[in-house]
Order: sequence, then C-alpha cells, then structure tokens
Amino acid sequence: MDAPVLEARGVMVAFGAGADRRTVLEAVSFAVAREEFVCIVGPSGCGKTTLLRVMAGLAHASAGEAWFGGRRVDAPQPDIAVVFQDYGRALLPWRTVRGNIALALEARGIPTAEHDARIDPLLAKLKLTEHAAKYPSALSGGMQQRVQIARCLAQEPQVLLMDEPFGALDAITRHELQDEVARIAREEGRTVLFITHDLEEAIYLGDRVIALAANPGRIAEILTIDLPRPRTQLGTREDARFLDYRHRLYAHLEG
Amino acid sequence: MPDREALRRHALSAVVPVTVLVAWEVLGRLGILSEDGFSRPSRFFPALARGLADGTLLEQTIQTYSAAALGLAIAVVLGVTAGAILGLLRPLERAASLTIDMLRPVPSVALVPLALLVFGFSRNMSASVVAFACFWPMLIVTIGAVRAVDPRLIEVGRMLGLSPFRRIVQLALPAATPGIMVGVRIAAGIAIVVTVTTEIVANPRGLGYGMTIAGQSLQADLVWATLAWLGLTGWLVNWLMLAGERRWLAWYWAVRT
Repeated sequence: MDAPVLEARGVMVAFGAGADRRTVLEAVSFAVAREEFVCIVGPSGCGKTTLLRVMAGLAHASAGEAWFGGRRVDAPQPDIAVVFQDYGRALLPWRTVRGNIALALEARGIPTAEHDARIDPLLAKLKLTEHAAKYPSALSGGMQQRVQIARCLAQEPQVLLMDEPFGALDAITRHELQDEVARIAREEGRTVLFITHDLEEAIYLGDRVIALAANPGRIAEILTIDLPRPRTQLGTREDARFLDYRHRLYAHLEG
Repeated sequence: MPDREALRRHALSAVVPVTVLVAWEVLGRLGILSEDGFSRPSRFFPALARGLADGTLLEQTIQTYSAAALGLAIAVVLGVTAGAILGLLRPLERAASLTIDMLRPVPSVALVPLALLVFGFSRNMSASVVAFACFWPMLIVTIGAVRAVDPRLIEVGRMLGLSPFRRIVQLALPAATPGIMVGVRIAAGIAIVVTVTTEIVANPRGLGYGMTIAGQSLQADLVWATLAWLGLTGWLVNWLMLAGERRWLAWYWAVRT
C-alpha cells in the first residue's frame, strides 16, 4: 500500500485540568490511504467531531499528532476541506449559491474571469444549476448542504473531511446525497474521512469503517467493507455481508 | 380588503396631529394660547413657504444636514474600524475599556468650546462634535455585532485559507452588518440632535441658528415652522435609510421572515 495520505498517530485529547480533567479521546491511531473512503462511526459523545477537528487542524491534540501528506497538521491547510454538519451556519447568507462557491476560488486567488468556468461544472455536478442565483435562505436543507459540498470541491482539496454532513436531513435526501458523494469521491479521486453516528450509512459508504467506543473515545474495531461498487440503496443494504457487518458493529454502538 | 385596511390605519394615525392642530388654531384664535409664543398653525405654512421661497430655509437645511452627515460618516468609519478590532481582540478591549468608560460620559456639547477653538465657526466645528457623539454608539454596537458573529463562519474561512484580514473583511464584517446598521440609525438620530444643538449654542449656521434668530426677532411662526420642517426632514432621512437597508441588506430581511 502507498504511504497514507492522512494519519492519526496516538491522538489523545483531554479538556480541563486537575480533578475536572476529562479524556475525550484516548490514543487513537489510524491511517487513510489515497482515494480511500473511511467512515468513523460511534455513539454521541465518543469524540468523533473532536477527532475530525484535530485532523482538520482546527483543534490541537493534547498528545499525539495528525499527519497529512508527510507533514504534521497543526493548522488548517488548503488541501484539506471540511463539510460541516450545520450547513445553515457554514454558508454566507448574504451571498448567492454562486457567490458562496466563489469564496473558495477567491481564497485560492483565482482570477474572477475564470470563476464561472469553474463554478458551472460544480453546479451541474451537484444539481444546483437552476438555483445558482438564489440565497441560501431560499433553499431546502439538502440543497444548502449541496452548496457547502460544492464549495469544498471548489477548493480542490485532496482530502474531504465530512462531519455528520447528512445528520440533519430526511431519509430520502440523505440517501440521494450519499450516492452523490460516493460517486463524486470516486470520479474525482478524493480521499474522504466521513463521520457519522449512523451505522448503516458508514457501511454503505465506506471502504473501511472505524468504530469508536465512548468514555473515553477509543477505537473499538476497524472493518474492511467488502461490498462491490457502485453500491445501490436497495441492493447493497439487502446484501448478506451488509447485514453481517451491521451485526458486528452494532455491539460497539450499544457500548 | 387590505387597501381599505391600510387606508383606515393611515386615517387613524392622522387623527392625533389633526386634532392637535385644530385645537391649537381654535385656542389661538380665542386668545387662550398666547400669540407671542404659540403663534397659530395657519401662520406656520406661510412662514414655511416664505423660508422656502427666499432660499434661507433650504440653505440652512443643507448646512445642518451636511454637518450631521459628515460627522456621522467619520463616526461610522472610525467606530466600525475600532469596534471590529476591539471586538475580535479581547485583550485589547480590556486594555481600552477604562479609556472608553472615561471618555464616553463626556457630554458632546461640552466639546463645543474646544471645537470652536480648533475649527472656528464652520461646518467642521459641528461635524467634529457630532463625530464624537456618534462614535460611542457605533463603537459599542460594532463590538457587540462582531462578537456575535458565528465562530463557524470564521472556521469556514480558515479551512478555505482566507487570511485573517480577509476573514474580517469578507466574513466578520458582512455578518455583523445588520447589527452595525442598527447602530447607524441610532447614531443618525443623535447626529441631527447634536448638530442643531451646536448651531443653537455657538455656530452661526444651519437650522438651529435660524431658529435662534427667529426667536430673538419674535417670529414665533418661523420658529414653529422650522421645528416642523426639522421633524419632517428627520423622518424622511430615517425612511430613506430604512429603504436603503431593505434594499442592500435584502438577504438579512429574507432570513428574518
């Protein structure tokens, strides 16, 4: 296997001091290979979001390190993009859909004349073309999350970190977006670290699933998901192996 | 019937002023209200027409509002800049808080003698006092508005690779704009009050001075007419600002509704 793109080396996070000191994550280590889709699943309070923030460079580990492309991550970097769960807070309400996506291009210093040529394919890819001139407040939750994903892709990152991106969406929209993210990640060759509390979502999307246990957060099991791609919402979920994975991981979530 | 409903509301809001004016006119004609001080509504309009016709009222209006606008503009630029810096850097705000708390209670009118020494009788004299008076509300509103910006938005900026300066200009300030605009409207009201005050106490220009002169020459009708004119134009300025805000901050009103 190639050298990993993204790596957690003994990441430990604790908050507070003295008697109030609470360990959120305990020596978590894993590696994500290039173009791999890795899902982290765990019960709420197991430190999944904290782990993602450390990998993104938004938070610091108390001990251990996050590594990306052979360098330590101690600040956000352009090659790593984050899709936040709360799309409503992550979008700029004063900018249209197109303007929100353009922000990523502005940050990269791409001349304004080239913006449309780069934004239009992203709009098409995420089925946002007819909404390009609307403000986020005029869009449904699923549409707003599409805008955030498009903005992250405009950043052209190697790695996409996704923090429960579909947690607040209804089931139909969630399934739709799962299929699109899987397709886009494959087509564009992005490496994805995807956080969720939904076991089936993790199995459906992941090449591997890392199950975390809570109090303190630690790796309970790492499963390689041997299901053919492209996966389908009905076929894959009825596959005997899918159900087997579900049984094996369920125990950890019950904790 | 929404149209009749609106008409009824307008008619209702006219009841109070019309009643007052009619009562005033009647009491004036009966000699119950002294002619010297209260004049009569039927005399205001000729006085207003005279002032408008010979250009003095218009000139004074321009003098007053240009001084108010200049002072307000200075206060907005300085207040928003300082407020953004202090709002984002808590240690700096703690260091500055004593200075702010000592300067803020200074009555702006107390600055008139000093402003007179520096600027003489001029628009800039009034504008400087206005700038001082309006700076504080702008500063305090901006600090609060910048501090209330969602940290998630700033994280988005960090992940996209925006520099700290661009995170302020492209994310924090636009997000704080609706809050800052509330400060601007409050400050605009203060600006007009302070301008007219400086004109009454010291500066021989503008509507405040016009009223002082009219009062000294016992033209009660002109004093009342100028007062009404001040109210009318002040209302107009506020209406224009609200209309502009609804136009340029359309996204904000869309989020609110």
